[in-house]
Amino acid sequence: MRKLLLASALVFSTITFANDSITIEEPFARAVPPGQPNSAAFMTLQNSGDKDLRIISATSNVSKVTELHTHTDVDGVMQMRQIDAIEIPAGGVTELKPGGLHVMLIGLTQNLAEGDSVEVTLNFEDGTERLLEVPVKHVMPMMNHQHKH
Amino acid sequence: MKAIRYLIGLSFVLVIAVLIYIQQQPKPAEQRILGGNIGGDFTLMSIDGPVSLSDFSGQPVVLYIGYTYCPDICPMALAVLGQALRNLPEEQSEQIQGLFISVDPERDSLEHLASYSAFFSPQIIGLTGEKADIDKVVQQYGAFYRRVEMRDSAMEYAIDHSSRLYLIDREGNLAAMVSHSTSPDQLMRHLEELLN
Repeated sequence: MRKLLLASALVFSTITFANDSITIEEPFARAVPPGQPNSAAFMTLQNSGDKDLRIISATSNVSKVTELHTHTDVDGVMQMRQIDAIEIPAGGVTELKPGGLHVMLIGLTQNLAEGDSVEVTLNFEDGTERLLEVPVKHVMPMMNHQHKH
Repeated sequence: MKAIRYLIGLSFVLVIAVLIYIQQQPKPAEQRILGGNIGGDFTLMSIDGPVSLSDFSGQPVVLYIGYTYCPDICPMALAVLGQALRNLPEEQSEQIQGLFISVDPERDSLEHLASYSAFFSPQIIGLTGEKADIDKVVQQYGAFYRRVEMRDSAMEYAIDHSSRLYLIDREGNLAAMVSHSTSPDQLMRHLEELLN
């Protein structure tokens, strides 16, 4: 019964607070070695509304601190920086992907292994929030998932 | 007439000055590699004791310089290396040694470096050392890193760094450098060249 209440509360909160114009596709968090204190979550955000939207913070059930970060390549030097917000322009798409924007999970409270799932809540500037179930995956550029044994 | 001669003389001096200026600019590692003055032996610490590049004489080596708090780029580079090694037939793959050098000894203990490196491939050894020793390798390989304080972040600091996979031949000479954004198959072809 408690589980059912919790589940309905979760569904209810998603319906109540989620921003309808935001569609989030293919969220994933990076699988990390045991003992690794941090990881990152990625996703594609699509804003079908006519207003620019901004994510101003995030939280997760697996990290002590969750921050918005970006990564830039300046003349071959990789620079990671914390940022105040991630903007999704009206009618536009913002990609959080390896090598660029990401939700940084700092101070992991558990190991993130492929097949696990983590919760990430995105807080928007307009006061709405979005709770995501994010699968944990091995991240490989070019997405070459063929494993030879 | 005199003025023209003066102008020709002046432009001649200018051209020479520009050429000297260009000559004196630091050359990117990609150019220096052709001169053969980049790379070389080094010794750093692993969980099992000191490791030198020369320990792997006769084997191709792939070297990467980064840090484990790196959210993206370092795991990407090491994942590409791990996958390239798995793509090769075992008898070829086992000849290749991977080395991951951390420029963040403050946070990367030898224990953590060992488990972090092995996560991508059991053929990658994690190395670090005293700042002076790290700086020496970084300079030898034309790499770059700098600590950047992140005042409002729980990370406290990040490390800006160059990102290349250094491919070293059986004789210990730097043969090529590739980006972390290369595909495992492309890297595998580079490794095959080193093996031949």
